[in-house]
Amino acid sequence: MDWLVSQISSLSKIFFYLIQTVHWTILISVLAYLIALALGLTFGILRLSPRRPVRWFASVYVNVLRGVPLLVLIFFFYFGLGKVVNMDRFVAGVLAVGICYGAYLAEIFRSGIQAIDYGQHEAAMSLGMTRWQTLRHIILPQSVRIVVPPAANEFISCLKDSSLVSIIGLRELTRAGREYSSQYFLDFQTWLMVGLIYLMLTFTLTRVVKWLERRVAVHGYGVEKR
Amino acid sequence: MIVQVKDISCRFGDITALDAVSLDVAKGDVVCIIGPSGSGKSTLLRCLNALEDIESGEIIIDGMNVDRRHRQIHQIRLEIGMVFQHFNLFPHLNVLRNVNLAQQVVRNRGKAEATQISLELLAKVGLADKMDQYPGQLSGGQKQRVAIARALAMNPKVMLFDEATSALDPEMIGEVLEVMRRLASEGMTMLVVTHEIGFAREVADRIVFLDNGKIIESGPPADLLVNPQQTRTKEFLAKVL
Repeated sequence: MDWLVSQISSLSKIFFYLIQTVHWTILISVLAYLIALALGLTFGILRLSPRRPVRWFASVYVNVLRGVPLLVLIFFFYFGLGKVVNMDRFVAGVLAVGICYGAYLAEIFRSGIQAIDYGQHEAAMSLGMTRWQTLRHIILPQSVRIVVPPAANEFISCLKDSSLVSIIGLRELTRAGREYSSQYFLDFQTWLMVGLIYLMLTFTLTRVVKWLERRVAVHGYGVEKR
Repeated sequence: MIVQVKDISCRFGDITALDAVSLDVAKGDVVCIIGPSGSGKSTLLRCLNALEDIESGEIIIDGMNVDRRHRQIHQIRLEIGMVFQHFNLFPHLNVLRNVNLAQQVVRNRGKAEATQISLELLAKVGLADKMDQYPGQLSGGQKQRVAIARALAMNPKVMLFDEATSALDPEMIGEVLEVMRRLASEGMTMLVVTHEIGFAREVADRIVFLDNGKIIESGPPADLLVNPQQTRTKEFLAKVL
């Protein structure tokens, strides 16, 4: 009984210690993901440009960033670029994660755009719409419905991968876990709790995604309204 | 002549889809284009809306040169309405928004003005009560009638129908043909690719028979259908009549 009480009290102590840094994890992943969304949408569209140099430029971005480990990217931004342009660890970490996920999202957006029947382009063009108007009013609103599940998946990955920035000393959830476990030698309990907090975050997110999928549903088209 | 097609050729790789085709259509005329599948009927219509590249020749509609490479091609396209075999309605927008969208975005009409025009046109095709529904909730015939209203909302000078009834169940063909018939009687210039010989006989001012990318024969229905001059035309008509 005493053992159980002491375990619970130490676990709750760990929980309250860790939870004070969880807003950094959320902030880093949200900011990184917003950057990734902007980059992903831009480069996803550019990859389908009728101009060859533009397509080429976009595919270089995607292939280079997708092909380098995120951890290496974080080191490069903080230790490499950080020395040249004077970035603090927060900016370097967010940029590294954002730019990396931008490449993944670019591929998702590209496939979302390509998944739309070409007849939709033709119908829009026959009504006199320009390429941009067609994209904005016809193609993207339909792509969104296709893109929401995989893009939301990427956000969950992004949230988990934000733990990597702990290595450059950003005090988010994982970093706090390392500090606590090395101070009190409660490795098992600490990492169990770190894992549980990540799980809480990602589980909440999956619920939000489900709700989002239903919100963008249109009757008789893609995901059904319930 | 509101539509002038001069000697156009269109190729897809090794296949010659259109081979030096010329065709003039006077304002208010209804021209039906018939022919076996793969004869180039749809390609001809798609060239008229700059959806395909032409290799040589030129297309002039109401004094405007229809050229896909033209920078302002979208402004020429909006004068030409097109109805597709597979409707191509916008599935994420309800019926009213389907008809409204291009009016607001391309013609710069206000929402109230666009809605008024849309409702008139939807009433005309008998679908005013469906304005809040999504395309996925409509039957094929209803979808095609919405597509016709959507094209008409841009006040096109010419309407192109690319096998508008070919994807429909037999019992829905009538309602779409009825709308097209009414449009023709109101004086709309129409080019209609169709397999409905009965419709062509009744509505067309002229029928054009296309085979292997060439116009084999053309003339008023009374001549072409009753007394065709070319063997190819006779063979084709023997099969479909």
